[in-house]
Amino acid sequence: MVEIHPTALVSNKAKLGNNVSIGAYSIIQDDVEIGDNTKIGSNSVIYNGARIGNNVTILNSASISHIPQDKKFHGEYSLLYIGDNSVICDFTTLHRGTEATEKTVIGSNVVICQYSHIAHDCVISDNVFIGSFVQIGGHVEIDEFSVMEDFTSAHQFCRVGKYVTVLSTYKVSMDLPPFIIAGKKPIKFLGLNFELFEKYNFSQDKINTITNAYNILYNSGLNFSQAKNELAKKFSNDEIVDEILKFLNNSSRGIVGK
Amino acid sequence: MINIHPTAIVSNNAKIGDNVSIGPFSIIYDDVEIGNNTSIASHCVIYNGARIGNNCKIYQGVSISHIPQVSKIQDVHSFVSIGDDTVIHEFVTIHKASKEGGFTSIGKNVLLMAYSHIAHDVKIGDNCIIVNAVQIGGHVQIDDWAIIGGSTPIHQFCLVGKHAMVGAAFKVVKDVPPFVLAGEEPMRYIGLNSVGLKRRGFSSQQMETLKKIYKLIYDSSLNVSQAKDKIKELFPDEPLAKDVIDFIDRSKRGIIPR
Repeated sequence: MVEIHPTALVSNKAKLGNNVSIGAYSIIQDDVEIGDNTKIGSNSVIYNGARIGNNVTILNSASISHIPQDKKFHGEYSLLYIGDNSVICDFTTLHRGTEATEKTVIGSNVVICQYSHIAHDCVISDNVFIGSFVQIGGHVEIDEFSVMEDFTSAHQFCRVGKYVTVLSTYKVSMDLPPFIIAGKKPIKFLGLNFELFEKYNFSQDKINTITNAYNILYNSGLNFSQAKNELAKKFSNDEIVDEILKFLNNSSRGIVGK
Repeated sequence: MINIHPTAIVSNNAKIGDNVSIGPFSIIYDDVEIGNNTSIASHCVIYNGARIGNNCKIYQGVSISHIPQVSKIQDVHSFVSIGDDTVIHEFVTIHKASKEGGFTSIGKNVLLMAYSHIAHDVKIGDNCIIVNAVQIGGHVQIDDWAIIGGSTPIHQFCLVGKHAMVGAAFKVVKDVPPFVLAGEEPMRYIGLNSVGLKRRGFSSQQMETLKKIYKLIYDSSLNVSQAKDKIKELFPDEPLAKDVIDFIDRSKRGIIPR
């Protein structure tokens, strides 16, 4: 059963799953798909191109899949995906992609708090937490389990690795490798993210490997390319270090310093 | 032809141009003028005193000409003017002037991105870009072609000169002279906004002149008023020098340091 408030404007062409509810004065445009059990609050607008999963909660006055704020955008077709179980709070703005990637992706179990903005072509992976008033520029990628605290922002094309916490009010202007805490202006490596390691039950071995790897990266006096060689030499075929190395090698904006 | 959604509430006294469209649940008050071909999306409220130009695009949830956030204010008869071709993204708030008959003005072809706030009595020139979540205090003046990076607050009464660029997530508390790039905390002069100037067709000769002018202000042993006299002496007929000197004369809060 679909429950639509009498004042909501829902297109006949939109595909709504079972048990979807849509609040007062909300608008659902034509080219929209909404999965089962998803709830949409009042005054929200879901624009063309939205592909929303199951059990998603969208609170009031959100703007989902609006056209990008990119001056190069000229009305091309693109999509915005939201994974299952995600929570999108009040007044958030999630924009669809541009012709560069044709999609913006929000993963599953993601929480995006009020007034936050996810720009065109971003990829926000599963289980990421985005606090209030976080402004994320175009093409940014944030990997699983990372946390952007309140009032943070991210420059376009930056990448944030998994299990990273960006402390409140700071700006991501470079790439942040996985497992770290970052903060200060300009942004710096502040240490490893032991809080998340504990929360997600990392084994002591895993924590030791991460600690040793980051000691080589930040505390050995080597520059990044030397440190990368050292890491590859010291930890051959270690899954975690391979992940870190892969991130370092794919960085285009440069890795955050200490 | 005017295209007003049946759920919009539009006053009969409002003056609405040709080919205007007004989306669902939007409200237009009595003393409002809207130019030709302007489109207003859903959930917007255009309060008394708004004067909106032609070909503007106003997206979801925008509040224009609301009473200023000044303590003890009575509802005054004042205005907001918005120039032609200006684009205003979601949840932007633009407040009218705090004094009877005063104007908050936004120029032509300005891009105001999501969540930005334009307070009472602000003057924004033509072709400016105000990125997400920029909070502009009362009486601020931003001249033509300036760009303000995301999440940047601007203290009341500050000035930003033309073609200046302010980095994202810093705070403007002093006046930013024309043609420069400003950033860091506390805000300082970083150099010329060379990328912006090149894009707008400044010749290399003009750039050299500007470099010499700013060298006198920031890289000599002179203080600002001595540097001003020296610039007058060395560049008597140079329009760029006049722009810089006029700006320094206008500045009451002092220009940003190096």
